[in-house]
Amino acid sequence: MELLPTDLIAQPDVVLIDVPADSRPSVLRALHAALSAVPGVNDPARFLKDLQERARVASVCIAADVALPHARTVAVDRLVLGVARLAEPGVGFDAEHPAVRLVFMIGTPKLQVEGYLKLVSALSRLLRKEGVRAGLLAAKTEAEFRAVLGSGVAA
Amino acid sequence: MKVKPLSDPAQQLLARLMRLLRWRLWIQEKLQFTEWQVTLLWAALAGFLGALAAMLFTVLAEGIHELLTGYSAGVVETMRSLPWWARILVPATGGLLAGLTLLFGKHITRGQSSTDYMEAIGIGSGHLPLRATVVKSTAALFSIGSGGSIGREGPMVQLAATLASLIGRWRQFSPPQLRLLVACGAAAGIASAYNAPIAGSFFVAEIILGTIAMESLGPLAVSAVVAALTVRLMTNAQQLYHVPAFQLNSAWEMGPYIVLGFVAGVVAPWFLRSLRIAEKWFVDSSMPLLARLILGGIIVGDIAVFVPEVCGNGYSVVVSILNGQVAVHALILIFAAKWLATASSFGSGAPGGVFTPTLFMGASVGYLFGAAVHALWPQGAVAPEAFALVGMGAFLSAATYAPVMAVIMLFEMTLSYDIILPLMLCSVLAYYTAKGLEGQSLYSEALKRKAAEVPVDALTAGHVRDLMKPKPPEVPPTARFAEIAKMFLTVRVNNLYVVDTEGRFLGVVALHDIKPYLGDADLTALVIASDIMREDFPKVGPEQTLSEALGSFLGVTAERLPVVDPADDRLLGSLAKGDLLLALVEKRKKLMPA
Repeated sequence: MELLPTDLIAQPDVVLIDVPADSRPSVLRALHAALSAVPGVNDPARFLKDLQERARVASVCIAADVALPHARTVAVDRLVLGVARLAEPGVGFDAEHPAVRLVFMIGTPKLQVEGYLKLVSALSRLLRKEGVRAGLLAAKTEAEFRAVLGSGVAA
Repeated sequence: MKVKPLSDPAQQLLARLMRLLRWRLWIQEKLQFTEWQVTLLWAALAGFLGALAAMLFTVLAEGIHELLTGYSAGVVETMRSLPWWARILVPATGGLLAGLTLLFGKHITRGQSSTDYMEAIGIGSGHLPLRATVVKSTAALFSIGSGGSIGREGPMVQLAATLASLIGRWRQFSPPQLRLLVACGAAAGIASAYNAPIAGSFFVAEIILGTIAMESLGPLAVSAVVAALTVRLMTNAQQLYHVPAFQLNSAWEMGPYIVLGFVAGVVAPWFLRSLRIAEKWFVDSSMPLLARLILGGIIVGDIAVFVPEVCGNGYSVVVSILNGQVAVHALILIFAAKWLATASSFGSGAPGGVFTPTLFMGASVGYLFGAAVHALWPQGAVAPEAFALVGMGAFLSAATYAPVMAVIMLFEMTLSYDIILPLMLCSVLAYYTAKGLEGQSLYSEALKRKAAEVPVDALTAGHVRDLMKPKPPEVPPTARFAEIAKMFLTVRVNNLYVVDTEGRFLGVVALHDIKPYLGDADLTALVIASDIMREDFPKVGPEQTLSEALGSFLGVTAERLPVVDPADDRLLGSLAKGDLLLALVEKRKKLMPA
């Protein structure tokens, strides 16, 4: 059974801690590589191409240190979510967002407009909750990171 | 866990703006009218204006009557008061003034055709020229005000329909919508003239549109009700004919009523034929229009010297007949004289209608028949006045080929329910009898003649391109969430079309999808049109048939579909479901055998 967007945030498909990337493309590639292995991604190459294309067209950042690279694509069969925390000092996604630390990569099937909007909206609400962003940045392990996400969604 | 408030003033402002947009959209969506509801609103306006036009026409006709005769009483009463020479002079002067109006009106109309409302609705584009209508109505004022044997309902309906046409053209309605609005104006005119909103709706639906489908009957009813309400509020109008309470005294009476149905069905086609013969005689006489109208007036005046009851539309005489105030031998004379006078007025080209004179003929036939039966077999026709009432309905049904309208109109005009059984039976019998004898009704011949001049394909929309509206609201795929929300506020649509820089259609952004997220400030910067557009939204091609297009509307709750060029996916326009349904109703009617 497919997860609800909030459940998916509490239990992302992939969590990477302190990814040593130095540019937006390398961040996308690293997180995409991990996410490509999960069930639901049927065409990893197409998925990456669509992610890059979307990031090229318009900004995917919602805060100075948070980016949500996403693509509505035929390359996924369900909503998939991969989360990465980048090593300090972060990576520049564009001129207005020079030090992104938290990256939430989303893949949405073409027909799931509502699911996509629910997921993005839930993520933005979560990151505005007091202590969540700090907790995610301070988490020492993947388990701690997931725990912060879980408690943030539940709160 | 608390949600951290936004600290950036710009973001706070944006968030506030989006919350505001959310509320505005919520209010707009809750209060937003569908296209059908908007049509009903315009129909109501057409009804209101139509009623005002009808009332103005009545006042002006009475004013002209007083100006020409010096009397403010009814036409028949006035004629009875005038000396013999004035009874000839007044209708002749009316014919002269009507003719001069039409003659000089040609300069004002500057080549505008004198399209009438039936033509505009039935076979035209819904376009009714204002100047030509004003000229024709002014001429009708002189014909009617001078006592011509002609009805005033025709010009009233024409004026009401023209105002509706003006509204529709101002709002740039599509041809099916415009035709429907003009039909609403006509229904308002009838409803105002006879204080009969249901009959007004059915008159247009049954006679002109040829359908009582709800797509058209709904707006017609709204327009007619608003018109009747306006007239009632402003003039304290009640039912047109006050009659005694008639009833079916015994089942035996049904026998004579059945015969009356056949009689009306036979006499009505003769009456119509006589009108056409008179018209042909006047036209073939090679007299100029001015001379024809004067001659028509002189003939009516000559008859009025002996039978003043022939003047006007016959309303007051009908009231007398229904109340048993006319002797049989007098009515025989009035009936014959009125027939001749109506043929003269109509044949000479006097502008006006023959609807009310038709009611007179029916009342006379019914009363004379009832009186004859009563004389031979009193139980078979206890009240000849009741036969007059039923005769009106039967004659109207036979003359117009609209039995439903005839029954409703008689009921509305008299509010006499007890007579409904013989009225229904008689009207139906008269309709079938007349249709068997004569292939054309009071209105069908002119329409057929004009329809023959128009290519068949031009009469109906056959393809999507015929109904397509260009320049639908569109956004680029990179449009931000905030831009999309603002766009939804400025245009009244539920779907925005997403097109690329080449004008190719990519999909739609649905208001339904984004509505719950309008308060989310983060989304305004992040989400763009291509993130949320629905690419599986149905679309139609310009060359698709209307039936195929209707199929595309199935399974999607959309008022409009994008029209896309199948060769290169370019967005060409949009197709409204309302226009499509109206066009299909029209098409079905025109494909039906007469």
